[in-house]
Amino acid sequence: MASGAGGANVAATCIQPENALSTVAILLSAFVLSVTALLVFIWSQRSSMFDKSAKAAEVIFAPGEIGTREDPAAGTALGLGNAELVDRARADASTAPLVFFFFCCAFAWLLVASAAGLTASIRLHEPDWLAHQPWLTFGRIRTIHLNAVAYGWAPMAGLGIALFVIPRLLKTPLVGAPFAFLGAALWNAALIAGLGAIAVGLSDGLEWLEIPWQIDILFVIGGALVGVPLVLTLVHRRVEHLYVSVWYMGCALFWFPVLFLVANVPGLHRGVQQAAMNWWFGHNVLGLFYTPLALASVYYFLPKIIGRPVQSYNLSLLGFWGLAFFYGQVGGHHLIGGPVPGWLISLSIVQSMMMIIPVLAFTVNQHQTLKGHLDALRTSPTLRFIGFGGLMYTASSIQGSFEALRIVNAVAHFTHFTVAHAHLGLYGFVTMVFFGAIYFIVPRVSGREWPSPGLIAAHFWFAAIGITIYFVSLTIGGWLQGEAMLDGSRPFMDSVTLTAPYLKWRSVGGALMAVGHVIFVVHFVMLLVGRSAGRVQPALLRNF
Amino acid sequence: MSEFHISPQEERENPDPYEGTGPVPWPMLALVALVFGFCIVYITRSDIETPSDWGDGRDSSELSGAKESGKVDGAALFASLCVACHQANGQGLPGVFPPLAGSEWVLGKDSTAAAILLHGMTGELIVKGATYNGVMPAFGSQLGDEQIAALLSYVRSQWGNSSSAVSVETVARAREAHKDRTAPFAGEKELPARD
Ligand code: HEC
Ligand code: HEM
Repeated sequence: MASGAGGANVAATCIQPENALSTVAILLSAFVLSVTALLVFIWSQRSSMFDKSAKAAEVIFAPGEIGTREDPAAGTALGLGNAELVDRARADASTAPLVFFFFCCAFAWLLVASAAGLTASIRLHEPDWLAHQPWLTFGRIRTIHLNAVAYGWAPMAGLGIALFVIPRLLKTPLVGAPFAFLGAALWNAALIAGLGAIAVGLSDGLEWLEIPWQIDILFVIGGALVGVPLVLTLVHRRVEHLYVSVWYMGCALFWFPVLFLVANVPGLHRGVQQAAMNWWFGHNVLGLFYTPLALASVYYFLPKIIGRPVQSYNLSLLGFWGLAFFYGQVGGHHLIGGPVPGWLISLSIVQSMMMIIPVLAFTVNQHQTLKGHLDALRTSPTLRFIGFGGLMYTASSIQGSFEALRIVNAVAHFTHFTVAHAHLGLYGFVTMVFFGAIYFIVPRVSGREWPSPGLIAAHFWFAAIGITIYFVSLTIGGWLQGEAMLDGSRPFMDSVTLTAPYLKWRSVGGALMAVGHVIFVVHFVMLLVGRSAGRVQPALLRNF
Repeated sequence: MSEFHISPQEERENPDPYEGTGPVPWPMLALVALVFGFCIVYITRSDIETPSDWGDGRDSSELSGAKESGKVDGAALFASLCVACHQANGQGLPGVFPPLAGSEWVLGKDSTAAAILLHGMTGELIVKGATYNGVMPAFGSQLGDEQIAALLSYVRSQWGNSSSAVSVETVARAREAHKDRTAPFAGEKELPARD
């Protein structure tokens, strides 16, 4: 390509006028047709599934329960012998040890990832600190942080939650739990090997895909084994209608292996196509794996705790199919300005904007469900975390849509602004929602209450204030950095030095988050050693 | 079925959630229409035709934008566009890429050198007594007159060369004179060094 650049340019200029018309026309018609087809499809889903859903509602809601709002604070007991309660207890009994195992792994990776993230952050403004250790240099410790979050904390927590929720919603005990045990063990072994490889400097060299492909084979086998019981349980399910959370979780479990396998085939991807694949993967791991797992959790726990149905099945459909359709095409917005065909970039930008639709459909749906019940946000730990997380989903997604526009991206790309956005999404939204879900699930799988409401509140405030400082400082610093880089009259070093104070603030915010995580894990250990023994009253938050 | 007992935590829960049949609120539908419309307009107006090799093809002088001084840096252009073939010392590679140092083409008529840069050259060509038969790419669509003038002026003043600078007007005239040309010059027989 390079040697013929001159000739290619002449050719491009010559055929441009005709070519210009057809590329735009093709892209436009493909876009309009596909979106129209999508809307028709959603509409048809809605009409054909309605009668079923009305019937299914009765199955899910035991007679006499419809419309009663129960505050978990009140500890209202359902009548014993209630069929739903029996199903629930059966489902929980079948998943408890497994979910417990996943959560223990998640806690461990959360601590590892926090330590690595904090180290990486400090290295950026104190470059001489620990500089003699190769594995602690920014390039490696940052990568260790990213991978510990991406393949440790997030999937262990998310899959643990899915394993707990799916059998409950299917009213079916989990079938084949030993497969998932084995799978999780392999997965964690792979992650330990992968982080070790990165620490000694072995890497595949692509962001999000750094772990050497030989180790990836273990992830594939482990992940497949975790999937087996979920598939078996779906096959044996005892309800006809699938609640929204099941759609999201089921699809996430199908999408991830496809992404991971395609992205890691050695020797298949080259050049520009490799870069395009890299961000197709990078963005879809976020959008089609972590996001649906977290959204499914919100869809389950939010109505569960306030005791009201999700208000609109129609909005759920719009949100789900919109996400499923648009997300897969947005990865190109990471390559704006790169040597990638223009139509691919433009398509990814418009689909990024289209993401506003499912995001707001979800937001409106949850808002309507929550309306009039905001007081529960104060008392229920789960709801407080999940409410915060849900809001951050809306915020980070809308931010992302606009960040994809060329005018914004020209400034934000290659700056800390992007890192702030990444943490708003993966921390503010996904991680906070997972925290909330874990606060709900642990008492069910362990049979013990959380010992201290004060520690829960402390965890919440450290995390919430920490991510706020983190996000605000890097957003401002990143934007100024981008403007400095674009200003031809300023030396490049200006754009580097001006970020120093913001990077220090990031370390402050990150340290608060890390303290929150330590509190969380210590609290969990207190629960395990029986600090709450004998109490059956839930740990509810009071005024703070 | 597996063993189970109903714990107090499970007992005090609300029933599992389900979906109500609320309609999609109309502002939501309006929003769908709005975003859809925006995207259609965006596609029709966006610059989709950017050649896909562009990201690799631009040189540092283009990327750094217009300099306030207005002076184009011929040395920087040479370093980013020509050294790969003609080498930093202007000596070329024997038998493959002809030298620019002491070349009769470089030192000769400025309009001829400009024509070579504008349209490129293929086929037989003799430089300092040696015959070459390679492909010299065209830069006419990539570089402006001012940049070509700066490049040639630079080349004509380096490595012992000492010919006069080339003016922007000369390049503009050469561009005009050959404006119908679509293929590179076919070596010496089409564009002799001296006429
Ligand atoms: C892809 C390699 C390549 C690049 C890049 C290249 N040239 Fe050439 N150039 C050649 C070849 C090969 C010839 C001889 C063409 C022939 O044999 O017909 C040539 C011939 C020439 C000649 C006429 C012969 C001579 O030696 O005087 C000039 C002048 C010249 N190039 C200038 C430039 C300048 C200035 C640039 C940078 C803008 C440049 N070239 C970039 C390969 C290249
Ligand atoms: C568990 C919560 C966390 C999650 C989910 C998370 C997620 C991420 C992600 C996705 C990236 C990659 C960003 C990119 O692509 O540029 C990243 C990078 C990073 N994270 Fe975290 N993170 C978490 C906690 C932390 C903490 C507590 C810190 C400590 C300050 C931290 C500091 C960093 C740093 C320094 C980078 C590198 C950014 C760069 O390349 O400049 N993270 N994190």
